[in-house]
Amino acid sequence: MRIVAFFVLFFGLIGCRESVQPTLVDKPVEVRRPQSFPPFEFPADNRPTALRIQLGRQLFYDTRLSSSNAIHCGSCHVLSAAFTDGRATSPGIAGIAGRRNAPTLANVAWMKRFMMEGGVPTLETQALAPLHDSLEMGTNMMRAVHRLNEDGDLKALAKAAYGRDSIDPFVVTRALACFQRTFVSGDSRYDRFLLGQKDQINEHELRGRDLFFSERTQCGSCHGGVFFTDMEYHNIGLYAVYSDEGKARATHLPGDVGKFKTPTLRNIQLTSPYMHDGSIASLEEVIAFYNRGGEPHINRDVRVRALQLSKQECDDLLAFLMTLTDWNFVQQKDLLPLER
Amino acid sequence: MNKVFLLLAVMIALVIASCTNEPEQTVIPASKATVRFSALWEGQPFEMQQVYTDAFGNRLRADGFLNFISLITLVKDDGSEVLIKDYALVNFYNANEITAEVPAGKYTTLKFGIGVPRDRNKDQDPAQYPSSSVLSVAGSQGMFWVWNTGYIFAKFEGKCDTTGTDGAELLTPIAIHAGDDASYREFVSQSFSIDLTGISKTFDVKLNVDQIFSPVNGNDVNIALQAITHTSTNPDLATNFMDNYLAALTFVP
Repeated sequence: MRIVAFFVLFFGLIGCRESVQPTLVDKPVEVRRPQSFPPFEFPADNRPTALRIQLGRQLFYDTRLSSSNAIHCGSCHVLSAAFTDGRATSPGIAGIAGRRNAPTLANVAWMKRFMMEGGVPTLETQALAPLHDSLEMGTNMMRAVHRLNEDGDLKALAKAAYGRDSIDPFVVTRALACFQRTFVSGDSRYDRFLLGQKDQINEHELRGRDLFFSERTQCGSCHGGVFFTDMEYHNIGLYAVYSDEGKARATHLPGDVGKFKTPTLRNIQLTSPYMHDGSIASLEEVIAFYNRGGEPHINRDVRVRALQLSKQECDDLLAFLMTLTDWNFVQQKDLLPLER
Repeated sequence: MNKVFLLLAVMIALVIASCTNEPEQTVIPASKATVRFSALWEGQPFEMQQVYTDAFGNRLRADGFLNFISLITLVKDDGSEVLIKDYALVNFYNANEITAEVPAGKYTTLKFGIGVPRDRNKDQDPAQYPSSSVLSVAGSQGMFWVWNTGYIFAKFEGKCDTTGTDGAELLTPIAIHAGDDASYREFVSQSFSIDLTGISKTFDVKLNVDQIFSPVNGNDVNIALQAITHTSTNPDLATNFMDNYLAALTFVP
């Protein structure tokens, strides 16, 4: 009788153990913030948790978000290039190049509005743009979530992360934004210098720094602050006639033609080519462009004018810009695709 | 003993009273209002895939025509407003009737917006709405911008031939996507007096599509000159389209 009872109990326990599904346990996560960065408040409906970030990471590198099943967010936003891709404009699903240069995603948590004309208000809603753009991922959100919902493991992860029974547009937009808000880059040599490590910057670079923030160049008046951007929109006289109208595309105002959001200069060494259309290949050429003063345009910012910088001064500026690279950021393994 | 009789008498009286048939109460049927949207071309039902000739001599056909209609409201004779429906997608050929129960009383005006009003248009997140909402990603059927904030108010897509050649194939695309705050239009009907107490009433709103593609309202939408706008790419065409759209609405109370 005891033997029978033992076997009943033993097999009962085995049976119970096999029927138990692994439980995904979520927990809040504190996203690292460099000392010099201002505090950032995550949206109330998208506070960071371990599973939300994990889900966003999986989706960021998931080709099911493109109609061809061939590209993902990380195809044009490559970590080693500070989440750009080294191309003037990026080919989408059909191999046809888009119209604009892929922007860096470093520190997007702190950015105010999205897209180069600033039409999109939040990082969550920004996810809809590349998904739907026929020159990028060329799908639509409902088709994408239909495909994602066929993946039971992903559904379980989404359920644990956001408490929803299926993957829907809310989950996809929130998870992608949550992951991207972990793209924090604030450990350049210049950052260390500002924290007191004076040996991080040499004389040559310091001269460039002084020139950058001088009245003479006024580089820092647009590319200022901790993120090296004023987050505003300016016409820099890149063209006399703009085929891409920039901010005017959203506002329809003639005074906004040719205005584009000021890009951050953090990691600028890694994010070539430059300008909204990737039309300038190197940083040396960008500095030469500003030194010439740009093309005539009625909306050109008055601060863009011939600077009369010497060769040495141009080199100094370049040297300073090189100090803004955060090499630790671009080697962060937890920003790469999950290893399967 | 007398008390017992008195008690019994009271009880019997109560029982009799309870058995007596109460006078029948008049049940007033619910008051219902239906707003029915339909599209016409020169007085006949406007059909998708059908080829029409516009006032400029262009031949065109529509492959899709979808519209945001919002804040469909009946105004009572005391000036108070009754909301029939907050937001709806109307395609004018099937998903085109909106019905709601309304309070009894006399009504004088029907009004609605074409598009999505400013406070629900800009800086909204379609993903925040449940799929059952027409403002959601699924419910709006793609009627929102993705590179910019806001909804597409009216989307007219099709093909045309503007060469004037009889029988020529329609090859030129028409894509009129109108939608930003400046594209919002409000329709206000002529005044009427209808007592909806206890009745169901259908209000017909007809869109005379031929009048959109004509100079009749002073705003040319001549597809031989321009047939594509995503509003930002050709704001004038979007404006003219929405102005003509509003002017091309007729209302039958």
